[in-house]
Amino acid sequence: MSNENRQGVFPFHPSQPIQPSPGKPGDDHQKHSDRNKDDDKTKASMESVKELGANNIPQVQSSIHCLSIVGQVEGHMVLPPQNKTTKYEHLIPQLVALEQAKEVKGVVIMLNTVGGDVEAGLAIAEMIASMSKPTVSVVLGGGHSIGVPIAVAADTSMITPTASMTIHPIRLNGLVIGVPQTYEYVEKMQDRVINFVISHSNVSQEKFREFMFRAGELARDIGTVLIGQEAVEAGIISSVGGLNEAINILNKSIEGNGEYVQ
Amino acid sequence: MILYTPIQLEQVLQGLDEMKSAKTKQVMISGVPALVQVEEDGSNKLVKLLSTDPEHYMRPELVPGVQVKI
Repeated sequence: MSNENRQGVFPFHPSQPIQPSPGKPGDDHQKHSDRNKDDDKTKASMESVKELGANNIPQVQSSIHCLSIVGQVEGHMVLPPQNKTTKYEHLIPQLVALEQAKEVKGVVIMLNTVGGDVEAGLAIAEMIASMSKPTVSVVLGGGHSIGVPIAVAADTSMITPTASMTIHPIRLNGLVIGVPQTYEYVEKMQDRVINFVISHSNVSQEKFREFMFRAGELARDIGTVLIGQEAVEAGIISSVGGLNEAINILNKSIEGNGEYVQ
Repeated sequence: MILYTPIQLEQVLQGLDEMKSAKTKQVMISGVPALVQVEEDGSNKLVKLLSTDPEHYMRPELVPGVQVKI
């Protein structure tokens, strides 16, 4: 299919005009291969416009990397295509790369998730928690269910004033058979989430369980919705803030490590 | 596997039955081993990378879901 037939594809304008630069005659070969590299880059950005509807911003080398976790956290099962998902098997090697790369000084994690697979979520949360580099998480629209442990996994967690976090019990919906065993299994899964959250934030186990089983707050469920400041008062999130605050905190902790150079 | 989400499960799993078991094959994309799904029109959609090099996962042209040419 040609580009003209696809919706949402605009003619491509390179962000920087290609200019001949003065140089030694011997540089020609080098320049040529650079141009090829640029072509590859523009090709890649065209692909992402076509396939994902996302436009690549001109690449700026940054010492901070941004990891966004959106939609459903997809784990052991591929979800039907109407779900927007974050695939954990792709995120985990990315976290390894970020931990290992010398030029990456800090990671900011942007969360807007409706939860998802318990084990995939906990895996991402454990990876973030065990990173040696400074990490800051920002809950943007929502950080629900399994988004809660991911949010608290970062060194500093933030929430925007309007963002919400739903805390509710884990229910049986997996492919598990056997009633008494199943009950215990779900209890254990729930304890894993609770233990992670209380050990990475200032909320107490009693308080978190109370949020989880509170009746009369959610229309079709038990549990609690915490909005912005409420999540901070509960001790789950460190502070209310947005992008500016998150980047400032990250830069400060990078400076603290004696590595930050601007 | 347990899903922990405030969204109704019926809504999340809707259409699960119609999901055909997709035809996948293992290929090399510019030196990176990957699993691609063969679409009905013959194009290839990247499902996941099979590489053990974490740097490969940082490459913008190798994000799951993109169309790849082999």
